Amino acid sequence: MDELQAKEEIRLIKAMLEKTKRATAESGTLFMVWGVLIALALVGNYILVYFKKYDWEWLNWVAVTVVGWVYSVIYGIRKERKQPVRTYVQTSARHLYIACGAGFLFVGIALPALGVYSYEAITVLIAVVSGILFFVMGGIYEWPVLRWFGLLWWMGALGMSFIKGIGSRTLIFTVLFVACYLVPSFILRSKYKKERTSK
Amino acid sequence: MTSDKFESLDPVIHSQVRLAVLSILITARHADFNYLKRETGTTDGNLSTHLAKLEEAGYIQVKKSFQGKKPLTTCALKERGKAAFARYLRALESYFPAEKK
Repeated sequence: MDELQAKEEIRLIKAMLEKTKRATAESGTLFMVWGVLIALALVGNYILVYFKKYDWEWLNWVAVTVVGWVYSVIYGIRKERKQPVRTYVQTSARHLYIACGAGFLFVGIALPALGVYSYEAITVLIAVVSGILFFVMGGIYEWPVLRWFGLLWWMGALGMSFIKGIGSRTLIFTVLFVACYLVPSFILRSKYKKERTSK
Repeated sequence: MTSDKFESLDPVIHSQVRLAVLSILITARHADFNYLKRETGTTDGNLSTHLAKLEEAGYIQVKKSFQGKKPLTTCALKERGKAAFARYLRALESYFPAEKK
């Protein structure tokens, strides 16, 4: 064994680590699906507000959440079966998604329904949980851009707390959602496709 | 200048296929046989032999199960394997020129 052979072994180790990283890269599929569902819910919200059917807003969000969760569970089980390799990073990310998903259920539906706070606070708290999701995800996948989106969500939550009125808050939330959810989701998806094609 | 004292390399890991397998498993909770075969570019028989050596040394755990009707072999790194891999990396470092202080 000499220095050259040692270098060759290090190269092999790095190549294997890189292959595993590529094989288990985040596809962004669930982000896209949830993005479309939330966008639909926001459009539904505006329609309901336009027709002054405020009592139906909760049903709109519950429907989206149920569809999203059912899809996520089926997708997760199928992916788990097909995935030939599972990394600790993926396991951490999966736990983060479940934790944030539960967080969205609590702050978006359960707690306001139980009267803990008014429906006006939902968007603010959803923004806080979204910030946690993106910030931690940026750390897990070592992707600083996602952490910045997390910080933007938190800044948005602070900004929204100074604004009164459910309509104005929903409008700001929509802007935040497009800029800090849909944009990183598309970036994530294109990054994944790029990594897969560079295999 | 290279280091005067080269640390001895673990013979169980000192093989291209076994080193590649451990490098995959170090970040993975588990990996299936076909994935390891594809990524290490080896054959069924060859990989089986190498996996058996790693299993004998107590470095990995090989689990055989079924996915539907298909047999499924998955491998995972054990604590002993993680420690051995870390020692191997440290030993490899001794083959590189000593850093100037």
